[in-house]
Parts: sequence; structure tokens; C-alpha cells
Amino acid sequence: MPSNFHQRIRHALADPILQAALDNNAERRNTARRTIYQSLPQDLQTLRQRAHAVRAEVIRHLDRYLAEFITNVQHNGWMVHRADTAHQAVETILRIAQSHHAKRIAKSKSMVSEEIELNSALQKAGIEVVETDLGEYIVQLRQEPPAHIITPAVHLTRQQVGQLFHEKLGAPLTDDVPTMTETVRRALREVFLTAEIGLSGVNFGVVENGVICIVTNEGNGRMVTTLPPVHIALMGIERLVPTVDDLALMLYLLPRSATGQKLTVYTSLIRSPFREGGDGCRERHLILVDNGRSALRGSPLEEALYCIRCGACFNACPVFREIGGHSYIGSSGKHTPYGGPIGSVISPALFGYREFGHLARASSLCGACREACPVDIDLPKLLLRVRSGNLSTASKFSPRKPNTPSLLKWGINFFTLIATSPTLFRFAQQTAGILSRIISPSRRWLRLPSLTGWGYSKDFPTPAHKPFRATWREIRQEVTSSPIDLHSVYPNTKPPLHSKQPSSPQSFVEQFESELTSLGGKFVPCSSTDVTVKVLSFLKEENISAVQAWSQEFLPAGLLALLQESGIQVTSQPHPDLLAGITSAECAIAESGTLVIPGDLKRPLTTSLLPDIHLAILRKSDILPRLPEALHRQERLKTPVTVLISGPSRTADIEMSLTIGVHGPKRVIVFCLMDA
Amino acid sequence: MPQTVQLFVTCIIDTFYPEIGRAVVQVLNRVGRIVEFPPEQTCCGQPAFNAGLWDQARSIAIHTLKTFEKTRGDIVIPSGSCTSMIRYHYPELFANDPAWLKRARAFANRVYELSEYLVDRLGITDVGARFPQKITYHSSCHLLRELGVDRQPRALLAQVRGAELVELPNTAECCGFGGVFSIEHPEISAAMLERKITNIEASGAPYVITCDAGCMTNINGGLRRQKKPQRALHIAQVLAGT
Repeated sequence: MPSNFHQRIRHALADPILQAALDNNAERRNTARRTIYQSLPQDLQTLRQRAHAVRAEVIRHLDRYLAEFITNVQHNGWMVHRADTAHQAVETILRIAQSHHAKRIAKSKSMVSEEIELNSALQKAGIEVVETDLGEYIVQLRQEPPAHIITPAVHLTRQQVGQLFHEKLGAPLTDDVPTMTETVRRALREVFLTAEIGLSGVNFGVVENGVICIVTNEGNGRMVTTLPPVHIALMGIERLVPTVDDLALMLYLLPRSATGQKLTVYTSLIRSPFREGGDGCRERHLILVDNGRSALRGSPLEEALYCIRCGACFNACPVFREIGGHSYIGSSGKHTPYGGPIGSVISPALFGYREFGHLARASSLCGACREACPVDIDLPKLLLRVRSGNLSTASKFSPRKPNTPSLLKWGINFFTLIATSPTLFRFAQQTAGILSRIISPSRRWLRLPSLTGWGYSKDFPTPAHKPFRATWREIRQEVTSSPIDLHSVYPNTKPPLHSKQPSSPQSFVEQFESELTSLGGKFVPCSSTDVTVKVLSFLKEENISAVQAWSQEFLPAGLLALLQESGIQVTSQPHPDLLAGITSAECAIAESGTLVIPGDLKRPLTTSLLPDIHLAILRKSDILPRLPEALHRQERLKTPVTVLISGPSRTADIEMSLTIGVHGPKRVIVFCLMDA
Repeated sequence: MPQTVQLFVTCIIDTFYPEIGRAVVQVLNRVGRIVEFPPEQTCCGQPAFNAGLWDQARSIAIHTLKTFEKTRGDIVIPSGSCTSMIRYHYPELFANDPAWLKRARAFANRVYELSEYLVDRLGITDVGARFPQKITYHSSCHLLRELGVDRQPRALLAQVRGAELVELPNTAECCGFGGVFSIEHPEISAAMLERKITNIEASGAPYVITCDAGCMTNINGGLRRQKKPQRALHIAQVLAGT
């Protein structure tokens, strides 16, 4: 085992703050995940296996799916670039940035960008790059890599973050999470509005329609894909799903596994740039990064490509819980963005066996990772394959030797010699028995030195003076002729499949209201005759004198005229001072309390993003029971972007403490037309 | 005529805990099975497999296959981990060798972990045991997650006369053994074991029962070192009690 890896482990274990943070992470995330699985429309195992099959199908026929996907994405107006290596990906991004004379890039979370070490390359080229995910922003300020793929600042306490903001941003010293979040909201608004380029990752690319799906909670992902004139999306070539239905399946599993949510607050479905103007970005680039992925196809580690980066295996892993993300380093001290169980497979597979192969040995193979994996990746099997050097037949990963430490290898070789010869085995047992009688005639447990590994924290049992086989002849078997109670069979019952779905339209409304409310949103029932008055009185109560709104044709008749008559300024253009935004919803999803909001020239995306309060008009008849129906419905609109909004913007990046209103609206009010 | 079963006692029980081996025989006798012990048996090969040394693991596996191919009938293994090695990982070891793969599969079809054998194969949950103590159950990882065996040992323990079975908090969490892991990463293993010990103490039971001698050794090793009064026992030791 490389000494610096060992050192990191010791360091992590001796850090009480880190230990408390990791415990907190594991307990909250694992509980949240298990609880939210109950809300799945079908049995979890069925859905996992279906998801596994979808991912397997994509990886098996990746060339064909990629070709079709690229055609569709280009047809939608994107510029598509393929990068075989990290270097090519970085060069492509630099070229795009330079062609736009970009000085500043606002970036939402992208694990691929960590993988290709994009930030340092951009900074070297004189381009400022600002991480806008709260957790990523914190670790960027600290100049350290993310400690978890979902919760980058999982290792820090609120006091440490408060101190950091005080030192780096000049904010007053505080350990109040909402105050810190507000500080970041203000600091980053300016970044979103001034960056020439927004850079994001991609959660899924949908092959059949060329749509890119990005899930975020804070709203920064929406900001960087909406406000800057140019958007660059970085995507691993494996992150495809064939159809919209497959996307729905993944969206059932990803947020639940990652953060214990039915859907993240924002699920952006980005189809095309805003070629006709509007507030969205005009130019979109998709960079498809290979960086070693192709070589894994058809290899013994192929299944690692099924990963959807939810981080559930990190949270479930008892080893991660002890050592944290920053311990997963290479033998030369190199950092990998992918730690935890999946990272212990991906890192040696993508970035070199010699450098990262040892990570796969830091696992008790307990299988908690596999159990937590929403796409049922057999992680213990992959970890074992890495240990054995059984990586791939592809040239880049020509078969290697196992990375077993030499002392252990000698021990196992010796053991193999004994274990393949009953005579030697018996002899070894007898010898051990005699030695144990001499060394420890009465005690059954020995204290071995620490350097044996075992002796570090445990006593060791002495071998029996007489092994079982030596006593076999003495064992008298008394068989009961009639076995005891042959009828005490334990019932092999399985719980019934989960079925909570309400069936009538009325119950959809109730379910939507209850889900929305539990997310912190507000449900206001009204009728088509009183909706305009109710919106007006809400604005008056809140002392709001100016609003951003969609074009009147998409809003209840007479609404904008009434507001203007009542002295409220109405604009379609975004402005930082506007406190409220008024939109309609194309439809809503009852099971998750989600609004489906299309975005185009007349329905600006900023209306539901920049203001503190988002007011949405929804018709009762547009409340659909489930996610797939809603995805299909919005698909017919073919708008450049559609956003699924589930409650107000939120984060849990500081100490897993849930805070509302990071970058997006702090309040979401739904006016539901009950007579429609 | 009572049916015979083959006992694959496992290298750990054979070498360190002959009393557990005897308990297994007693329990099997009590449910009407006569036990045979193929004397050439050694180890399933899991230590070599987990260490990454698959060539070595293969030679040990082949020795085991040959040993049990000479016998007939069900094979009972008092270990979830060793059973899982045979059922789940032998096919992986012989993936590129169709002849051995076929033999490995045939062998795998004959093996049962002890509690699985009693409950699923024989349909017995009451083996007439008596153990007048408060006990708790540790779900060992491979038994639970690779074999899917959990209700079986619990059902057996629930029928033990005099025993008060209480739940072990976070029972499915690994105890930190992991075979070679515990010597390659002693610090992490120790931290994981510490959690297990804390949970055992919280359960209030003086005895924690497991189906694997590996977990048992690990847990007892830590309990002894820390001079704690609790003890881990193999399930056969409880089921053999009268």
C-alpha cells in the first residue's frame, strides 16, 4: 500500500471534525434514501434491474447510440465536439473561450471537468473560472478538490465555512447557514450576469430527441445554462439513455439515490439554443469526452460505465464513512475526482492501475455499495477484478499482475501450497496446534504485534490444540430418526408491491398540493374568474410594485392589464431588482409536486429563476399523476428548454443543513385554476 | 434411513474452533441427518481470491471441487462467506474455462449455508435448542447481501427456548473483517469494528450471534482486546444448546 494513501487514512481517522461530518453525511443520506424509495411507483428491485438493463444496452451499443444522439443534438442546433482525451477536451474548451474573448466562465458542477483538470488549464490561459454550486464554490475558495461527488464540502463544518467566507469574501463572521447562503447568492449573482460563458456537466443525454438533462437543486445549473450567451456542456460519452421513458426511469432513481428527493428542485431539459433571441443563451456546445471510457467497453470493468454518479455508494460505504473523499489518492499523491466504491474502480480503470489500483484493496467487500446502487452495479465484483489485475484486454489496459502487496502474496502462496495438499494441511494444523500449546498452553487468545495488521486492534485466537479433523473419529453421531417439527416452516412471504398511486383526478390535485407544500411551496386554489384578483392581492400584500412576466397570451386573460392598471410595472425582461416572476405551467406532476415550465422567446426562463418569488398559474386539469406523462407532454412542445421545478431553490451543502433559496427563487406560489 | 450430508467445515472452524464443528454435527444429527466429513477438504480459496491472487484461488478451488465431487448429496457449510465464494465467485474464477465452469456450477448447486439448509432445504426452524440468554444477531455481509439469507437465521434463533432475541442496531453494517482487508487496512478495520462493538453494547445483549466464524473472530478479537464482557458466538453453538 502506498505510504501517502496510508498517511491520508490515518490523518482522516484522527480528525474528529471530519469523522463527525462523515457520520452526519452517512446517517442522513442513507436514511433519506431508504425512506424516499417508498415513494417509487414500482418495486425498487424491479426498477433497478430495468435501469441496469437500460444502461447495459446503451454501453453495449454505444457507437450506434452516440452516432444517433450526435445527429439529433446537431439537428437541435448544438455544436458537438468529440474529445478522445482530457487534453483534447481542454483544448476544445479553450478554443471556444478564446473565440468569444471570454474572461470569465461561470461553472456548475461537472465531474468530467474535475477529471480533465479544466479549472487549472483555464486559469493558466488567463480565464477566471468560478464554481457556482455552493459546495464546489466553498472547496474552490479553499483551493482543494471536492470531497464527495454530490456534496463537495461534506468534510467541513459551518464554522469552517463561516471563517472561509469571512477571510475570502470579507463577509461578517457567522456560523448561520442561511446567512452564509445569502452571501453566496449575492456574490454569485454578479458572476452569472457577467460571465461570457456558462459551463455545465450533463446528467443524461436522450438519444431519441437529442435533449440534454441536467439536475440541480440550487439553481446554479439553470443560471449557467441560461444567462451567459454561450453554454458549454461537458459530458462523458457513456451518459446516454435511449428514450424519454428511459430518462423518466433514471429520474425516478437518480435524485432518490443521491439526495433522497423525488426530483431535484430543477430538472432542466435543454433541447436547443435560443436562436430567435429571448433571454436564453444563443450558442450551445456539447463536448463528448471519452478519456479512457471506450477502452472499458467489453472489458471486465465494463459495468463501471453504467454508473449515473448518484453517490449512493459513497454514503453506504463503511470505508468512505471512515476515511472521506480526500483520502482516495494515487500512489504518487495524485488526487482522483472519483473516490468511494465506484471511484475505486473507475480511477484505476481511467487514470492508471499503477497509480490508483490500491484503492480497490481498501474495501471489506461488504456489498453495501452494490445494495445502494440504483443501477445495480456489482461493485464488489469489480473491486475484486481490479485487485486481480483483470482489467481489460484493450491495449491500454493489457492484462496486469495482481496488485497484492508482496508480503501478503508470499503468505497466500504458502497457504495455497498447504491448502492444495491435505497432508500438508493436516501437518500445518498439527504444527500450529503444538506451537500454540507451547506458546499459550492455557490462553485461547493472543496479543499479536501491531505490525501484523491484526494485532493493531484485535486479539488473535490460538489454533486449537486438536483441529476439528483430528477429532472427527471421536465424534459419535446420534441421529434423531424423526426430525423435530418438520412443520415449523418459516413463511417465505414478500411484501406486496408498493402501490400508493391515487387514481382519481381529484386525488391528483390533493397529492400535488401536499407534495408542493412539503417542499416549501404554496398552493392557492382559485377560479378562472378570481385568479387575476388573487394574484394582484398577493402582490399588494407583499408590497411588490414591479414584476417580470411571461407574454399575456400564456397567462390568464386580463392579468397583465389588471396589474398595470393597479400600478404594478410589468416587464418581460429580467432585472436584478424584480422581486416576483409570473409564469404559467404547462402541466404539473402530482407524485412529486413538480411544475413543468417551458422556456422560449415569449416565455423567458429567467421569470422563474431570477426573482425571489415565483408565481405560477396552473390549470387543475393539467395536473398529471406521474413523471413519464409529464415528460411526454412537454416533449410535444419542442421548446428550446423545459424546466421541471419542484419547490423553491435549496441546498444542503453546508453540514447537510437544508437551506432554501440559494440561486433560484426562495418562494414558489402556485395559483391553481380549480374550474379549468 | 437418515439422509447423509457432506460437511465442508471451513478452514477457520477446522483450525481454530473444532467445538463449532461439533455443534454443527449435533444440530444436523438432531434434524435427522447423518454427517460425512470428506477428510481431504481444506479451504474454499476465498483468502487468495480476495487478495487478488486468482491463479492461487483457482488451484485451491479445484482441490475443493475434486474433493467434493467424490461425494454425493447436499453439502452444508457453516459460513455465509465460504458458501458465497462457491456459489457466487467460483463461476467468476472459471469464467474462461468451460469444463471447470460446468463442474463449479454443479458443485455450487449442492452447497448450502447451515441456516439456509435447515430453513429452506429442510423446512425446519425449531431444532429443539435451548439457550437461556439475551442474544442479538449480526447479519454478516456475504450471507445477507450475496446469498440473501437473513430471515433464516433469525427464524432459527426465534425458536430457541429461553433465548430473548433483541435487534442489533445497524446489524447489516460490516464488522470490519473483510478477510485480507483486516490486515491490509488495520486502521479502517478497527474503526469499523469499533462501531460494531458500540452497537453490540447498545443492544444490551451479552451474546451476539453470527453465521460466520470470520466475523465472530473479528468481533471477539476486538471485544477481548478491549476487555469487554460481550461475546460473539457462531449460530451452531446456540442451536446445539439444550
